[in-house]
Amino acid sequence: MKITFLKKFFSKIGQVMKFRTLFGSRFRALAVKEITELLRNKQFLFILLFPPTIQLCLYGFILSPEVKSIKIGVVDNAKVLESREFISALSENKVFIVDRYLNSQSELGKLVENGKLSAGLVIPPEFPRDLRRGKTVNVQFFVDGVNAYIAGIASGYIGLITYNFNLREFPANVSPVINPQIYFVYNPGMVYSWFYVLGVMGMILTLTSSLSSSVESIREKASGTLEQLLMTPASSLEILLAKIIPIFILLNGVVITALIISQLVFDVPVRGSILLFLLLSGLYLIIGISTGLLLGTIAQNNMQVILTGFFINLPIIILSGAITPIESMPVFFRYITLLNPLRHYIVIIRGILLKGVGLEILWPEVLALLIFAIVLLAISSYKFRSQLS
Amino acid sequence: MERILAQCKKELLQFWRFPLTVALAFLLPFITLLIYGFAIRLEAKDIPLAVQDFDRSPLSRDYIDRFTASKQFTIINLRSFNHKTVFNSTEYIQSILDRGIAKVGMIIPPDFTRKIKENKTVDVQFLIDGTDVVNAKVIQNSIPAITNFFLVSNGLSSGNQKINPEIRVWFNPGRLESLFIVPGVFTIVLALFPAILAAIAMVREKEDGNIIQVYASSISAQEYILGKGLAYLLVALGETIFTVVLGMLIFGLGFAGNPIVFFIGTPIFLATNILYGLMVGAFTDSQRSAIQLVGTTQALTVILFSGFIYPVSNIPFPISLLVYVVPAMYYMEIMRDTFVRGSGFSGTWHLVLPIVLMGLLEFVVAWRKTRKMQL
Repeated sequence: MKITFLKKFFSKIGQVMKFRTLFGSRFRALAVKEITELLRNKQFLFILLFPPTIQLCLYGFILSPEVKSIKIGVVDNAKVLESREFISALSENKVFIVDRYLNSQSELGKLVENGKLSAGLVIPPEFPRDLRRGKTVNVQFFVDGVNAYIAGIASGYIGLITYNFNLREFPANVSPVINPQIYFVYNPGMVYSWFYVLGVMGMILTLTSSLSSSVESIREKASGTLEQLLMTPASSLEILLAKIIPIFILLNGVVITALIISQLVFDVPVRGSILLFLLLSGLYLIIGISTGLLLGTIAQNNMQVILTGFFINLPIIILSGAITPIESMPVFFRYITLLNPLRHYIVIIRGILLKGVGLEILWPEVLALLIFAIVLLAISSYKFRSQLS
Repeated sequence: MERILAQCKKELLQFWRFPLTVALAFLLPFITLLIYGFAIRLEAKDIPLAVQDFDRSPLSRDYIDRFTASKQFTIINLRSFNHKTVFNSTEYIQSILDRGIAKVGMIIPPDFTRKIKENKTVDVQFLIDGTDVVNAKVIQNSIPAITNFFLVSNGLSSGNQKINPEIRVWFNPGRLESLFIVPGVFTIVLALFPAILAAIAMVREKEDGNIIQVYASSISAQEYILGKGLAYLLVALGETIFTVVLGMLIFGLGFAGNPIVFFIGTPIFLATNILYGLMVGAFTDSQRSAIQLVGTTQALTVILFSGFIYPVSNIPFPISLLVYVVPAMYYMEIMRDTFVRGSGFSGTWHLVLPIVLMGLLEFVVAWRKTRKMQL
């Protein structure tokens, strides 16, 4: 009795161990094959690592919602000291640049119509007379409305500059009753680039992870070697892991590179835990890779894979708050963004790096990412494996 | 010439073989247009503002109401977040900002009404989340204006605003955001999809291993490139008609002036993007590399460098030179002029030239690379 039992017991262990070593060596063989192929394709590696790096640098510099250097043309029909001071107040902090002086409103109008000027100011001839009499004088501004965003901000600045000019030139006999004291939190220097660099980082990771994994996933279908893959003795799980793991490691390299560049080039602070940042970035990469994997199972060839990849990624990028504000979106879309993993990831990285907060504040976003990761990974690996059997 | 047409026909046949690809090539740009056109809005509205009002008088409530009335802010009711008595209000507001519940916090001191009645200055603190720089600037600019409006309407200010700006917005008086965004989305979509398809097509023979046959055949490098280009130009023109017509119908856009530059410039722009794809394809060895390269470079460049959302004039000097080589930047201007400004031929003809130049450059580069390998 005992002996049979022991025999059974040991043979069971033997089976498990054999399974382990077989699992180990087959998986290892596949993984080595994938890694070697990846490393040998230096062009692909370069394309994977280099453009994101350059783009991160570039876009961090250029993205700025600041509205500056708006070309404004002026028709000054008063030509007195006060009108000249008003005009120079406009260009004080470089929001507007007084491009030229014109003699007639119609000339000014034509230049705005042709897009050569973005705004115009007409000061009426009764300007000095009304001011002397203590009356309010109206000055005419027009703004090129083609870019609604700039037009809105320009209008706001016109209001603000005029308001401040009035306060300075015509001080009231009582001091301003309410004094708003404004403090900026987290970013006292109001550095624009931090906000956008992290947004761009999120965008780049999204594109890179899903593009590379979707191409990887469809490789055998696209090159027609699917039968060979079906015939390998490796289990579908091993094939799947062998494809995903090298890409995952590589992409983590991209994350680390991006973080280093952000710090070196843009001085992006790391106020929170780097470990948390890396872990959660890895989680987001899993989401991206799973998405790509899933796309690869649906498409039939490379063209379809990239078309659908873009179809998914472009809205994800735009509806994430990376470069366009979520608060301004219509209500319907604002709720949809909750389904967007990139949105949560960006909240997380901005929170960790710029605000210095941790899991205690970010747990809702982390939970969302976990759910996305588990669901997507499950669905995509199921579909991938079922297409192999 | 017949060889170009033959190559073109061959490409189209290969494209047509997968109905799914054809469907995707037409539907996806359109769906992207819908999503972007409806979702992207830049103007700050409904910014969450958290208020700690220690005065709780009619006057302070009126002040708070002014912020809501401006439509830029929504007031967050703080009571639902913390029932404990808060001693340090600044820290509390900071924690609200930490959690992202509000983008700005306002603290009204308990002597608000008293000081105002006594004609003394009262300090109201505003803590703005500086990480969201877009909103932060807007908030910062609106606070003095709203404050002044409150003072004037309560008869508290001596009304020293002697100069009154009357602002008119031209071409788009309603500041309709779709007029700005939708032509931009057209540009993005027309820049991206043709380039991708062209790049993959260019690498196809290399990937399949049939490239030797191409080199050995009598087709010359330029005929090969032009043939592929022509095929995808036809597809792209189809995409354009489909997307632009539907876009104009859905978003209510019309031609704002003489659209001749649009009709001339669009095929040229499509051709330039296709040539970009072909050029990338000439240099890459596998479809996977081509996809990665075109995907990341074209997508991000067109979205960020063309003036789609953020003005090109903001780009600081040395990098701003790069913008001049992005065809999408010129085309964006053409599109905006066609649908909004309407200055017609005289205002925009010069924008077509750089696009043509870029296209020629891309063709030459692609040609020389392909020619090297011709047998």
